Amino acid sequence: MRRRGVPSLVLLAVLTLVLSAGGVADFAFPLRANSVRLAVIADFGNGKQFQIDVAQQMVKSRAVFPFEFVITLGDNLLTGSQPSDFDKDFAVPYKPLLDAGVQFYATLGNHDKTNERFYKPFNMNGATYYTYKKGHVRFFALDSNYMDPKQTAWVETQLRGAGNGDWKICYFHHPLYSSAKSHGPALDLRKVLEPLFVRYGVDVVFSGHEHVYERVLPQQGIYYFTEGASGELRAGDLTPSAITAKGFDADRSFMMIEIAGDDMYFQTTSRMGVAVDSGVIHRTIRPASASVPHE
Amino acid sequence: MIAKRWIRCRGVSGLVALSLCVAATRMLAGQGAALSKEQADDAAAFREFSARVQEYVKLQKTVESSLPALKSTDLPEMIAAHQQALARKIREARPHAKAGDIFTHAACEAFRHASRAALAGPHSARSRAYMQRGDAPNPGMRLAVNGLYPDTEPITPVPPALLAAFPPLPVEVAYRVVGRTLILVDVESRLIVDIARLTLPPAS
Repeated sequence: MRRRGVPSLVLLAVLTLVLSAGGVADFAFPLRANSVRLAVIADFGNGKQFQIDVAQQMVKSRAVFPFEFVITLGDNLLTGSQPSDFDKDFAVPYKPLLDAGVQFYATLGNHDKTNERFYKPFNMNGATYYTYKKGHVRFFALDSNYMDPKQTAWVETQLRGAGNGDWKICYFHHPLYSSAKSHGPALDLRKVLEPLFVRYGVDVVFSGHEHVYERVLPQQGIYYFTEGASGELRAGDLTPSAITAKGFDADRSFMMIEIAGDDMYFQTTSRMGVAVDSGVIHRTIRPASASVPHE
Repeated sequence: MIAKRWIRCRGVSGLVALSLCVAATRMLAGQGAALSKEQADDAAAFREFSARVQEYVKLQKTVESSLPALKSTDLPEMIAAHQQALARKIREARPHAKAGDIFTHAACEAFRHASRAALAGPHSARSRAYMQRGDAPNPGMRLAVNGLYPDTEPITPVPPALLAAFPPLPVEVAYRVVGRTLILVDVESRLIVDIARLTLPPAS
């Protein structure tokens, strides 16, 4: 019943993680030809110096690791929706990146106004949820503020139609898994989305909302990252739990990602330029029949 | 002798039990009838609610068609100008709008029943608590029909279970939750279209 409509040869990604041992300062991206390179930020739009520091660190990092685009996990404009807020919270801090042609692909957080979807630099084209492809990676930008049956059906249709060869990466504001104290996991959302993610072989999920960084141990074969500290911070809010693979709540941070073939290299960098987490996720394709069962 | 008394007692107990069974069956049947009446009433109330929403959306579209279409733009001023103009024109088009115009009394009852059912159980109780945590909108914030949803207040993610239990809405409007209050908002103008207070069950 659960698998009705799923092609018999649907492949599910199975991922293994190889962490770089010890420190992460010497982590290097392979910078392979035709790889997909991006940065990840969330909960950034407050216009404060900390956000500007992170943005400047992104510019510095880009000189070494030339990411082509940035995905935002929501709370893009935390101070309001007046024209000046767009400038203060976004256009000014990221001007060097925007001027360099770096594209941003936004999702909405609980502090965002729906009309941000019309702001061209966010590349939402008037939609609160959308999908796009970069190289061999299919991205699904979702609206976790309002996961109504219409959006849920859309997610299923898009995931099912995305094929099996590409990476599938979903991102949205509210984390399905979290060990932070302020909010914790969005269980209602998990109940709806996780079965779809498992069934259709989503590889990685990025969320924000919690103002910390956390990498969660694979849940039903899927890697979950929370990066909600690219401007805001709740220092000490993370209580590492059994699902925590790595956490950082001492300063603001952002992530850089390179996806080359079946490998996803990631590094999380603090506002001060210190690499606080890094690793490689290796994706192995196998038939859906060998997939991990879900709830 | 003892056996006779036991049989007599058993007979009496059996009669009592039978009577209780009959009474319970009648009660349950009555409850079933009441439940189906409630369900029928709720279904009718939701139909009426959806019809009123459609009426509102028709008005909204008429109003919006008199404005320059909003497309993706680099200029936030264009977005703000559109939002403000649309809000102003909708207010002008329904100057006497008041709470209950769309969330009728019967609709409020139907939403209460649907909310209670959707948020029942321990899992959903956690989700309900999740809605209230952290930076939830101030439950005491001023809400008024034809007023704007405050720019500085966050929104509460509406649990998917609620959205699945409520009547689906056209894209022009959306449900919002503030504390126990359910709000219908116009997505582009951020106007509060209607308010249903004390609709959601308490978090506890």
